[in-house]
Amino acid sequence: MTVVVCLKWVHDAAQPDDVRFGAMSPADHSALELALQCGEWAHADVTAITVGPAQADHILRDALACGVRRAVRIETSHAVSGADVAAAIAAVVADAHWVWCGDYSIDNGSGSVPAFLAAALAARQALGVIHLSFGDAPTIDAGVIEATRRLDGGRREVLEVRAPAVVSVEGATAHLRRAGLTALRTAAAAAIEVIRIATPTRVDDCVVQQYRPRARELAGPDGVSALARVLSLTGAGGARGAASARRTVVLDPLDAAGRILTELREWGYRT
Amino acid sequence: MSDSVDVIVVGAGPAGSCAAIVAARAGLSVVLLERGPFAGSKNMYGGVIYARMLDELIPKWWEQAPIQRWVTRRSTMLLTDTQALTVDFRTDAWGEAPYNGATAYRPDFDNWLAGHAEAAGAQLLTSTTVTGLLRDSAGSNRTGAIVGVRTDRPAGDLRARGVIACDGVNSLLAKEAGLYEHTDAKHFTLGVKETLALPKEVIDERFGVRDREGVDIEIIGGTGMINGGGFVYTNLDTVAVGVVLKLSKLAAQSLRPEQVIAGLKANHAIAPLIEGGEVKEYSAHLIPEAGLEMMPKMTANGMLVAGDAAALCLAAGIWLEGVNFAIASGMYAGETAVDAIRAGDVSARGLAGYQKRMRTTFVLKDHRKLRRAPALVLSDRVQHLYPAMVANVAERMFRVDNPQPKPGLRRIFAQERKRAGVRRRDLIRDAWTGFRSYG
Repeated sequence: MTVVVCLKWVHDAAQPDDVRFGAMSPADHSALELALQCGEWAHADVTAITVGPAQADHILRDALACGVRRAVRIETSHAVSGADVAAAIAAVVADAHWVWCGDYSIDNGSGSVPAFLAAALAARQALGVIHLSFGDAPTIDAGVIEATRRLDGGRREVLEVRAPAVVSVEGATAHLRRAGLTALRTAAAAAIEVIRIATPTRVDDCVVQQYRPRARELAGPDGVSALARVLSLTGAGGARGAASARRTVVLDPLDAAGRILTELREWGYRT
Repeated sequence: MSDSVDVIVVGAGPAGSCAAIVAARAGLSVVLLERGPFAGSKNMYGGVIYARMLDELIPKWWEQAPIQRWVTRRSTMLLTDTQALTVDFRTDAWGEAPYNGATAYRPDFDNWLAGHAEAAGAQLLTSTTVTGLLRDSAGSNRTGAIVGVRTDRPAGDLRARGVIACDGVNSLLAKEAGLYEHTDAKHFTLGVKETLALPKEVIDERFGVRDREGVDIEIIGGTGMINGGGFVYTNLDTVAVGVVLKLSKLAAQSLRPEQVIAGLKANHAIAPLIEGGEVKEYSAHLIPEAGLEMMPKMTANGMLVAGDAAALCLAAGIWLEGVNFAIASGMYAGETAVDAIRAGDVSARGLAGYQKRMRTTFVLKDHRKLRRAPALVLSDRVQHLYPAMVANVAERMFRVDNPQPKPGLRRIFAQERKRAGVRRRDLIRDAWTGFRSYG
């Protein structure tokens, strides 16, 4: 039974050597805490794994200080895509039962690695989880974790997850424990396993682009003339209709409150 | 990993890092504890770093230290609402090795210095706050020898043969050890600083400097009715402007410190220098400004105190220094700890060499010599009466008021002294105090 947590070293691209500006994402903190809880629950050691350069060691040391048993850093020969990262991790932890990830990293992460990883491991996936409860103490391989996912429109999905599975969690799902002093001192000197893999340069995967949010389709404004369309967009000149007309009324407080609620409902702020 | 080391240094500022460098190079096991996420992250400074003390520890430190500019132009300004009288000195000598003063960002400078402590073998542990002292179980909680520290981490006790407290102004450890007899708000000032971004060429042009040359302007007046002072100094592509305010007066005026800075920034003598600068940072920090008057005992059984924690900050008007005292006291604390641990006596008696080292060097000699200066510089007369008086004398001296003939300087001075409401005997007394301090 193995528990794995995948961590990403997020840094300032302009100053990769300056450790002051490199750290884990909040979601990775959350994943690390849950991996440790999972390890306690399943009576298993936890392995922390990252793909990155030597400067990334310090987040692995943070993980070791918090209670992870083994720390592995995969060093690639080239910049790699999310799918390659997942493949590299899967090759190292092929026998993992529970794999914990942050749902996305703060450097414009797309959250794709956990999904690729689940595919590469042929494991179940529970992505973007915001709440977890660990089931009864499991026998080997038989534990069940109840995971709540966030869906669109404020809806929730509750999953029963069994090993092997990849679970990615949001930053607020769990609060990372504080490392003990002795553990912190030990971790500072601990050995980090480094695995070097040669990755083919795939030009299409290595193009560095500015981050651009995806385009969304928006309905155009109503109106025949350009002026009318601008007015309807900006609401200038009372284009939003009678609701924006100014009215002054004098009422006693109870009626005034009722009136405000009515108006808000008419304007569509309340249902 | 053993839960006991030779030396614990609390605080990875200049004092702590230098203490750790000295102790670690002597072969002791050293743990350097820092509450911020990296060394220097909690630190600010509104002044100039004079780091010649580093010559001993890091030869040719100036070739690698992350400094912003070398101060080659040093101005002292008397400021009123409408007048400014500046003594402006510049020399090329301060622009070449071994230099004199530098401006630097403390998160860079302190981090660099802590890197040297780590390279020397000290173990730097960040995000770890020391919450108290561990006492020898033989003694009582108040009097037993100090044998380690308690941190805010789980299982966070760490024992050591000696503790060096470099935990900054308002040192909780020095207070817990009973080294401060009393503390008084009147001994502190609040330093407040805005860092304004401007292109390097604009700064070079406005301040009349090139390359790495920098300017340090110290200001008396310009802080309204609050006793204190102001400063403007140049970094590579930012200008730091700020004020130092006497706490008691600030409280009495119920003003926010940023309002005082805004007043200084709007002054016609300052505004053109910083016009168009975008505020990048606002920071504030307490300063132990009273010098010798507030200094604690610096040794306890098992503990030494250095840097701001020992109130080693010199605020004497024309000399405003702190980092150099921190570096020196940290070094001496490190040396003393090494000697005491080797001799096997870390009691207050065994650590007494620390006081001696400081008494025989500039650390306490400067403070002793200038012991009356901080109170004089912050006195009401120097703050509120003299700047206007001197500026008015200068204004009338340089005014050509034809067809009136030129008045004699003595007469102008006598008239302006009366107009400012300064009594002759107060003036003589202040002059004598100043002469004894600075002479």
